[in-house]
Amino acid sequence: MATVTFDGATRYYAGSPVPAVDGLDLAVADGEFLVLVGPSGCGKSTTLRMLAGLEGVDDGAIRIGERDVTDLPPKDRDIAMVFQNYALYPHMTVADNIGFHLKIAKMPKAERAARVREAAALLDLEPYLDRKPAKLSGGQRQRVAMGRAIVRRPQVFCMDEPLSNLDAKLRVQTRAQIASLQRRLGVTTIYVTHDQVEAMTMGDRVAVLKDGVLQQCDTPIGLFGRPANLFVAGFIGSPAMNLIPTRASGESADVGGTPIPLSPAARAALTSENIVVGIRPEGWRTLPAGDGVTATIEAVEELGSDQYLYCSADTPHLTPDGTAPQPIAVRAPGMSPWRRGDKLGLAPQPGAVHLFDAETGARLPD
Amino acid sequence: MPGSTDVGGRASGAHLVRKKRLFFPFFLPAVTLYVVFLVVPTLATVALGFTSWAGAGDTPEFTGFANYVELLSSDAFRYSFLNTLLYIVAGGVGTFLLAFLFTMVLRDMRGGKLIRAILFFPNIVAPVALGMFFSIVLIYRPNRQGLANHLLESVGLDAVKFLQAENVTWVVTGCLIWASSGFYITILMAAVDRIPPYLYEDADIAGATPWQKFRHVTLPLTWDVIGVAGVLWTIGAVKIFELVFVLAGPGTYSPPIRAWTLGVYVFDRSFGTQGTPEYGMACAAAVVMILLVSVLVVLLRRLMRRDTIQF
Amino acid sequence: MSTVDSRVSVAPRKPPRKPKPAPGSRGLSPLRVLGMAFVWLFTAVNLLVLYWLVSAAFKTPIEIFTKPFALPAHWFERGDPFRNFAYAWDNAGFGRAFLVTVVLVAVSSVVIVLVSAPAAYALTRLGARGADGMTNFVAIGMGVPFQTVVIPLFIGMAEVNLTNDLFGMFLVYVALSLPFTVFLLTGFFKSLPDELEEAAALDGASPLRTFRTIMLPLARGGLVTALILNAIGLWNETLLAIVFLNENANFTLARALFAFNSAASYQSEYGGLIAGVAIVVLPMLVLYLLLARRIITGLTLGAGK
Repeated sequence: MATVTFDGATRYYAGSPVPAVDGLDLAVADGEFLVLVGPSGCGKSTTLRMLAGLEGVDDGAIRIGERDVTDLPPKDRDIAMVFQNYALYPHMTVADNIGFHLKIAKMPKAERAARVREAAALLDLEPYLDRKPAKLSGGQRQRVAMGRAIVRRPQVFCMDEPLSNLDAKLRVQTRAQIASLQRRLGVTTIYVTHDQVEAMTMGDRVAVLKDGVLQQCDTPIGLFGRPANLFVAGFIGSPAMNLIPTRASGESADVGGTPIPLSPAARAALTSENIVVGIRPEGWRTLPAGDGVTATIEAVEELGSDQYLYCSADTPHLTPDGTAPQPIAVRAPGMSPWRRGDKLGLAPQPGAVHLFDAETGARLPD
Repeated sequence: MPGSTDVGGRASGAHLVRKKRLFFPFFLPAVTLYVVFLVVPTLATVALGFTSWAGAGDTPEFTGFANYVELLSSDAFRYSFLNTLLYIVAGGVGTFLLAFLFTMVLRDMRGGKLIRAILFFPNIVAPVALGMFFSIVLIYRPNRQGLANHLLESVGLDAVKFLQAENVTWVVTGCLIWASSGFYITILMAAVDRIPPYLYEDADIAGATPWQKFRHVTLPLTWDVIGVAGVLWTIGAVKIFELVFVLAGPGTYSPPIRAWTLGVYVFDRSFGTQGTPEYGMACAAAVVMILLVSVLVVLLRRLMRRDTIQF
Repeated sequence: MSTVDSRVSVAPRKPPRKPKPAPGSRGLSPLRVLGMAFVWLFTAVNLLVLYWLVSAAFKTPIEIFTKPFALPAHWFERGDPFRNFAYAWDNAGFGRAFLVTVVLVAVSSVVIVLVSAPAAYALTRLGARGADGMTNFVAIGMGVPFQTVVIPLFIGMAEVNLTNDLFGMFLVYVALSLPFTVFLLTGFFKSLPDELEEAAALDGASPLRTFRTIMLPLARGGLVTALILNAIGLWNETLLAIVFLNENANFTLARALFAFNSAASYQSEYGGLIAGVAIVVLPMLVLYLLLARRIITGLTLGAGK
């Protein structure tokens, strides 16, 4: 088992002046499950492939434990990788697939077979050991790919969107299986996904990347509760946080006539009077029309357990510069009697307000 | 299907009938030409192989297997058959080894596409032109050597009589490999390009050497294509004629029998002969060609049989 | 712990000229170096050979054999650089043969495609019973060596006075090119989508009209490929031309080259001979430079699937 450290790791691709991964500093603890998440093209897969040794590192270093692996070929890094498409060899049986790396490493046959059986047992693959991948379901193939990683007993698992080829239901199931398997084995794991739900449910910590730059790395709760900047605020959480650009005047910022108080620290940190107020859908209180920000319901999404109301603010100038923000998403208890066209008042719940500097995007101190 | 009685279904049903009416007018011209110019002559060759027949002006006379018995005792035929087999086997092994080596190296080499295009070109050059070209390159004439011997002498080696009857079969094999390799490299590389790159990445993580990658990934995943390529090679090599005729011979008439192939044999016994033609014998040799192709192709297919691979 | 990283535009750094390769591939194994050296050497030899051919076509025999790598000099100094080509063109009959070949190849290739396209369409898209079997029946023809048909074919053609006759040659070329062309085109027709054909049927277009106005244009790429590949094949065809054509006036280029071979060696007319080879090869080279991709994919298509 080992820690993983990225130390200013940078990766360029030929023909692009902008780095795909830009000076990444990240420390992953021994046994930790770290998720890399971000929109496509953010550099998360490149980061993983640098760790695996499938991409060169143009600047900076990567360490596994105390070893600097920056220039080591993949096989000497003691890692295992689960590919998005599983990368199963179509001409080999499940057993041969799982045992392939051991065979290349010249492990004696008997020992290899024992290791393969052990991994297969762990993943409920024993009945399928003699089948070819083409005869397996998507979930089974995914487990074979996992088996091939486990059987190496590596120091680090690298997983590149391993669930993206499964259907929604299976994905939820497998998500839990992978997380519990990882906890049982205690192997440090770096897991790449573009799905923020996967990130939040699986990771001990989640690192959010954008344009090759690390935005924030924190526990799911920290990420959700204290997003470090506007990008993270908008990226984590579904429906997304309502981000309302407005102006700070004196000791408060104004949201549709409702003053949002600003702490002295926040005021000190502001680089201009432009400020963004972020309130999650569940951060609103619904009031009778007339109180707070008056809004009209444009659409109702009934999920049974919850209800999401998408409202437009009636206040002609919700924001001082008159830009109409996107519809405001509001969470209400499931089966509430709201209808399209209803009017209601909205007020932020105490403590549910996030403040960001509109110029730098950074979170303002409380 | 009883369920599909919607309007579209019925319309396309009627359409199907009208489409089927189109089949014969479309297919007949091609198939007629095919039968008249290929199928019937092939059958006629088989029939004439059982006759003694000198050619135009003579009447074929049924002699059973006499031609084949005579073939067996003929030196010319024995050389022809063995040389043809040599071209198929030695040329095939050489070409495919070369092609495999190239696939191993070219897979992740820059300029690979260009190299492939350059190597492919000899395949669209007439074999007769290749033959003449090589005959000048390989000429042995002290003081005025062809290119090959010029090079040999310039590095201090002795010149070689490449085109002498005892050497020429191996020389032609070399020329054949040189000229064909581009075609088979291209076929194999196209198959290699279809292998998903992540399989090679996984092999990298496993620590596989280039040979192991070839043995465990490339070879099994291009097996089908290799089989087809082997069939194409066999079909092509069985009829080798111009290259041998031009390189081994004085030009307009046949080379020494030591260099013959079945194609040369058939030509020499019929159209290219200096003495009396023996069309019956030529036909019997042509039948041997067909049999050889068939046997080798069936054998190859059986050897290469395996489950199809889906990625 | 949260790392806010809002790098407010540090001075733009210069990207490296070449990104580092993956660590595994950097350690060039000796085997790989050897392999790459061999591949480049092999390729270089190919280019050298091509250079030798083109330059030799402008040389005297002495230059050809004593200075194989030098640029041609003698004929240029004499102010007659194309002397070898002129010799081949006029004295060895390549001029007329060129004309004959161009016309014969062009007409034959077009007719081959005209006959093969409907047949391939019929075999793939008309839903005929046993179409697969018939496709195989035609495809087997690709494996039949010409030597096995040429004797009865010659006798038969002689019966109807079509030997030593360009029309007879044309018939033979068309017929014997059918298996390959039909097979190639069935591949193209098979790959076309069904929807357009069905849409045309629903619009009330007759099947013939659908074929002409929808399927043929869609398969145009395949038809052009078939045309080019047949043109290349017939341009280079020698065996049948040797058998069926025996009068200089009817010679195709490959046939003329074959006849020129022995005469040229007797007279040491190597310059003219290589010019003759060049006349056969260079049009293919030009075609190849223009259409390499199409030619390569077309010729290797059958093997891939």
